Amino acid sequence: AGGEGPLARAIRAKLDAALQPSHLQVLDETPRHGGPPGAETHFSVVVVSERFSGLPPLQRHRLVHAALQSELAGPLHALAIVARTPQQWQSDPNPPPCPPCLGGSKLEPRRE
Amino acid sequence: MSGAVRAACRLGAAAARGRAGRPLSQAVGDGGGAEGGSGSSGSREAVERLVREHPVVVFMKGSPAQPLCGFSNAVVQILRLHGVEDYRAHDVLQDPDLRQGIKNYSNWPTIPQVYLNGEFVGGCDILLQMHQNGDLVEELKKLGIRSALLDAEKDQDKK
Repeated sequence: AGGEGPLARAIRAKLDAALQPSHLQVLDETPRHGGPPGAETHFSVVVVSERFSGLPPLQRHRLVHAALQSELAGPLHALAIVARTPQQWQSDPNPPPCPPCLGGSKLEPRRE
Repeated sequence: MSGAVRAACRLGAAAARGRAGRPLSQAVGDGGGAEGGSGSSGSREAVERLVREHPVVVFMKGSPAQPLCGFSNAVVQILRLHGVEDYRAHDVLQDPDLRQGIKNYSNWPTIPQVYLNGEFVGGCDILLQMHQNGDLVEELKKLGIRSALLDAEKDQDKK
């Protein structure tokens, strides 16, 4: 319902600035992880950027983390990442299916 | 406790930390994102010991028998697919110092974290990618672990 929340907008802005992606998808997955709607704690991002060229997956993910450092130190609790070069995205423009969630965060002790 | 015993305890603790001469007031991190004191389960030394304990070490939420998070569950399931059931799994929900310490160690903000041969490999997304592109079979082979998927293929060829 409605547009992106504030954290989604911040994630989008930071990734745009850091990686100049040709394609960027920011999804609030919080409801799928058992969180209340609007909580904005679990996100998945699909980032397509030439900046990833020549970098192994670990380094690509580190670039994404670096762009979102303050969010990850704060409200952003979980982040699923798909990081591809424009060439890779062109040959396969589909993100892999997300692993099925058990709603595990419901079982987790509350973080203070 | 007598003063002499207290002093001996301090010396013993300092020796255990391996940072002789460091004032006690500097031993403890400033909470939050800082490293715990070297005696804590989240210290660099403690984490280093854990990641080197076994060729396959996973830091996760919950346990392999009962994962408490979809991403941690995915790691368990992927390892299971490859027939890897003998590995070290650490439940960070049981140990807040470890939960922060492992993030400091790898400079990686999330759980789960997978270590192969003491080296940080990535989280669930990366393990999934490695599984899908065949890299995981190769990495396991380097550790002397034969992926069950290789046997599954062989069985299929026989039919």
